[in-house]
Amino acid sequence: MPHPSVPAPGLAAPAPPEAPLPRAPAGTALYVHVPFCVVKCPYCDFFSVEAEGQDLSGTVAALLHEARARAPQAPKTVFIGGGTPSLLPEPLLVELFDGLDGLTGFRSSAVEVTAECNPESLDRDKARLLAQLGVTRLSVGVQSLNPDTLKFLGRAHEPEDALRALEAARGTDAAVGADMIYACPGQSVEDWEDELSRVLEFEPQHLSAYNLTIEEGTLFHVQRERGELMTAPEEVELACFERTREVAEAAGLGRYEISNYARPGHECQHNLTYWANGAYVGLGPGAVSKVGLARAGNPRSLAPYLRWVQNDEHATLWREQLDPLHRLGETWWLGLRRSAGVDPMEALLAAGLDGAVDDPAPGLAQELEQQGLLENVDGRWHLTDRGWPLADGVARKFLALGKQP
Amino acid sequence: MNSKYIRNFSIIAHIDHGKSTLADRMLEITNTVPKRAMKDRLLDDMELERERGITIKARSVTIHHDKDGQTYQLNLIDTPGHVDFSYEVEKSMQACEGAILLVDASQGVEAQTVANAILAMDAKLAVIPVLNKTDLAHSRPDEVCEEIENSLAIEATDAVRISAKTGENVEQVLDRIVDEVPAPSGNEDGPLRALIFDAVYDEYRGVIVHLRIVDGSLSKRDRVRMMSIGKVYETTEIGHFAPQMVPCESLHVGEVGYFISNIKALGDVRVGDTVTMHKGADVEALPGYREPQHMVFADFYPTNPGDYEVMRDALEALCLSDSSLTFEAVSSDALGFGYRCGFLGLLHMEIIEQRLEREYDLDLIQTAPSVTYEILTTNGEAKLIHSPGTLPNPDQYDELREPIARVSMLLPTEHIGPVLQISTDHRGTFVRQEHISPTRVQLVFDIPLAEIMYDFYDKLKSSTRGFGTLNYEVTGYRADNLVKLNILVASKEVDALSSIVHSSRADARGRAVLKKLRKEIPRHMFEVRLQAAVGSKILARESIAALRKDVTAKCYGGDISRKRKLLEKQKAGKRRMRQVGAVDIPQKAFLSVLGGDDK
Repeated sequence: MPHPSVPAPGLAAPAPPEAPLPRAPAGTALYVHVPFCVVKCPYCDFFSVEAEGQDLSGTVAALLHEARARAPQAPKTVFIGGGTPSLLPEPLLVELFDGLDGLTGFRSSAVEVTAECNPESLDRDKARLLAQLGVTRLSVGVQSLNPDTLKFLGRAHEPEDALRALEAARGTDAAVGADMIYACPGQSVEDWEDELSRVLEFEPQHLSAYNLTIEEGTLFHVQRERGELMTAPEEVELACFERTREVAEAAGLGRYEISNYARPGHECQHNLTYWANGAYVGLGPGAVSKVGLARAGNPRSLAPYLRWVQNDEHATLWREQLDPLHRLGETWWLGLRRSAGVDPMEALLAAGLDGAVDDPAPGLAQELEQQGLLENVDGRWHLTDRGWPLADGVARKFLALGKQP
Repeated sequence: MNSKYIRNFSIIAHIDHGKSTLADRMLEITNTVPKRAMKDRLLDDMELERERGITIKARSVTIHHDKDGQTYQLNLIDTPGHVDFSYEVEKSMQACEGAILLVDASQGVEAQTVANAILAMDAKLAVIPVLNKTDLAHSRPDEVCEEIENSLAIEATDAVRISAKTGENVEQVLDRIVDEVPAPSGNEDGPLRALIFDAVYDEYRGVIVHLRIVDGSLSKRDRVRMMSIGKVYETTEIGHFAPQMVPCESLHVGEVGYFISNIKALGDVRVGDTVTMHKGADVEALPGYREPQHMVFADFYPTNPGDYEVMRDALEALCLSDSSLTFEAVSSDALGFGYRCGFLGLLHMEIIEQRLEREYDLDLIQTAPSVTYEILTTNGEAKLIHSPGTLPNPDQYDELREPIARVSMLLPTEHIGPVLQISTDHRGTFVRQEHISPTRVQLVFDIPLAEIMYDFYDKLKSSTRGFGTLNYEVTGYRADNLVKLNILVASKEVDALSSIVHSSRADARGRAVLKKLRKEIPRHMFEVRLQAAVGSKILARESIAALRKDVTAKCYGGDISRKRKLLEKQKAGKRRMRQVGAVDIPQKAFLSVLGGDDK
C-alpha cells in the first residue's frame, strides 16, 4: 500500500537492528500506539507528533501491517493509546478497529477495550462510534478544570470541552475514566480538591491522577534546568497525593495503583498486566512489547517506523532480557505499585524463575517492613500508608537485588 | 684529589633567608655553572620546590675554589630548612665536616635555625656564621650577631656579612670554608666505606645512589655491597654533581658523588647504609642514622580503586629518596583500600601528597592527620594506637597517653601576651622564657602534639604578624584526660568517624562532627538519627528528617525499561556510599569529617 512517507520497496535501507520477539501466544494483551496529537504537551514524554500535515491513513495502514505480523490472536485486553487516538477521523477509526478485529478477533475475545481520548476530539458522535467499534472504556484526558492550569500544561482544550467530553463519554455504554494532573506550580491542595471533586461529580468509573512529573526530554525539563520552572513544594505534592485518595475513596473509587482509582470491577485490566510484569504486544512507533522474558521496542520516531514496517513487517529497534534476579526485582517494583501488592511465589513465576531458587526478595521485604514501608497481609506484601509516597526508594532496593557484586 | 684539599659542607638556614640564592652565587663565582646557564635556585629542581620556594630534598654539588694558589674541591650538600625536615638535615650533616649558619640580618635567628644549628654542633661540624641581606636598609647585623651568640653560644663577632643577591663577600665565605672546615679525615688506602645520604630513582637507570666516601675509594666496575642487607651490585657509572651528574673514573676519600648500578629493587638502597667492597676486608658499618620519629599519620586512598597498585609503587619510590616516610596498607570500611603514611610533620605530609598527585598523577583522598597514642594496658604493657578505631574499651587500659612536643618559639617581644594565651589554650604547659636580644624572646612550652596539629602554627603566625617561628621535638607520652568520641548513625557506631579527644573538647568536637554529617548524609526513607557519645553518655544529637515523597507517578508498558533505568541511575549515584545498617553514608560525609579541620 504505497504512501508518500514510505520509500519504494527495494530502495536500499537498513533493516531494523533487532529481530522481532517471537509471536505472542493467543490471549496476550495488545497495545496500539496512535502517535498523533493536536499539539504536543510540554510535560508529556510519550512519543507523539502534531497531526497537522502527517499521513494519518498511511500510519493506520502501517499499524495494521505490523499487526498482521505481530498481533496476538484473541487478545484478552486491548488498549488504543497515544498520542490521541480520538483525533483520528471516523473512517480511519473504522479502518483501524475493523482491521484489528479482522486480524485478531478482539471483539469477541477482549474483556476490556480502552481508547484514549482528548476533550477537543471527543464529541457525542465520536464517543458513540468508538463504543460501536468495540471500545468498553473511554479514557478522557481532562488533566485539569482550571483554565490557567490547562494553559500551563499546554493543552488544546478549555475546561468546558473537558466537561462536554466527559458527558459525551457518559452517554455511551463504555466505562468512563478521567485522567488528571496535580501539583502544578501555584496549585494548592484546596484548588486540587475542588477540581477533582467537580470531575468526580460525573461519576466516572475510573480515575488516573498523576503528580506533575518533569520527564527528561520534555520542554518542561529544559525549562526547569534553566530555572524557568519551579515545581510544587514537597509538602504540597504529598498533601495532594493523600487528599486524592481521600476524595476518590469518598466518591466510591478505591486506589488500586499509585496513581489509579476505580469503582470495584472497573480497574484497568490491561494496565494491571503491566504491573504484574505480564506479557503484552505493542504496535506503533515507540511501542514496547514483552513476550516471554524479553522486552523489545519500536523506534520513537515515525519515519523509520513506517519504513521498517513497510519493508520488514516489524520495527524492532531494541531488545533486552534481564538477569533472573534483576527480573525478580523488577517484578516486585512493578507489583508493589498495586494495592494488591506482591505474592512472593507469584513474583518468582512472573520473573520466570524456577520456584526452587533461593528467593532474596522476602528477606528484603522484611527489612523494609521494619522500616515501616511494607507490610504483609495474608502472605502478600503491600506498601504501607507511609510507604506509598516512597515507592521509588523501595523500588531501588528491589532493583538492586539483580546487581549484587 | 688529595683529601687535604676537599671540604664538605652544608648550609643551615631558615626558609627565605637566602640559602638557595647563596648556593647559586657560589656556583656562579666558581664558574661551576656558566652565567648564561644560571637559573634561579638551581639546586631546587623539583617542580614543587621551585613553586613553594623551599628546598625539600637535599642536593649536592661539587665546586672548585682557588685559594692561595691551590684549588680546593668544595662539596656543598644542600639541606632543607623547614622544621619537618630535620631528619634530612641530619643526613646531610653526617656527610659534612662543616656548616654555614646563614641568618637573615633583618629577620634574625628563627626557631628552626636554632634547631638545625644545634644538630650541626651535635654532629661536631665547624659552624661558620654568615649574615645575609646586609645590603638591605632595615638590616640589623649587630643585634642579630647578639642573637646568634645568645641562642647558640657561637662566637659571631666575625660573622661574614654578605649579600647573596649581589654576591658581596660571597668569596670570603668560600675562603672561610677552606680555612675553617676540616679536611675529611678518612683513611685513603683503607677498605672502602661510603655513606649513602640520598638516593633517587630514575626510570631508565634505576636507583642513583648519592654517597660520601669515608674511607678508601670507589671506581667504575667495582663490585660493592650494601652492608645492612648484603646485596651486591657492580657500579656501572660513578660521578660528581656539577650540579648535573658528571661521570668520572673514581671517587676518592672525602669526596661526594653518586653511583649507578641499574638497581631496580628500591628496597635495596637504604639511606644511612654503608657501602663497602664485596670482596674486601671486613669493615665496621658507619654509625647509622637515628630512626626518624613519625609523629603525624594520615591515610591516603586512591579515588580510583584501580590505582591502588600504582600508589604502592609511587610510595615505594618516594620512600627511596625520603627515608623518613613510612607507609602500610590499610583498609577502611568507608574509603576502601589505601595506605596509612607516617610523616615527620604536617608540611612533610602535604609535600608527599602533592608529589603523589603531580609526579604520579594520582587522585587522592586524604584523611585528616592524626597522632599516635599510647595506652598502658591493665596488664602493664605499653601499646601504640595509630587509629582511634583500634582503641580498646576503657576497662582494658589504665592510661591513655598522647605525644607531647617541646615547642620552642622565637618571636618579637611585643607579641608575647597573645602567644602565651594561644599556648595555654592548646593545653600547653610553660617551660621557660629567654630574651635572646632586647627585641626577641624565646618561649618554650610543652604542648600535646595533637594540639599543634591543626592550626597552632597559623595562630602563632597571625598573632605575631608573621614574625613568630616555631620548632618542636616530641619528647614523650603523657597521660591526660583523653576519651574516645564515638559517632553513632542510626544507633550504630561508625568506627571510621571516631576520634580521640581531650574530654574538655569532646562536646564541641561531637557537635561539629554531627553538623557536618547532617549536611552530607542524604535524606532517607526514615529519620536518620546521629549521636556523638563518650562511652554510654550522649553528648550531642542531630537528626536528618525522613524523605517523604519519592514516587514515580506514571509507569505503563511503554515506560518500564526507561523508568527502571532512571531508578537505577539514581541508585548508581549512590554507589560511592557506605552502608551502616540501613543508612547510606556518602564518601563525602566521611571526608567532611576526616579530611577537614573542625575547630
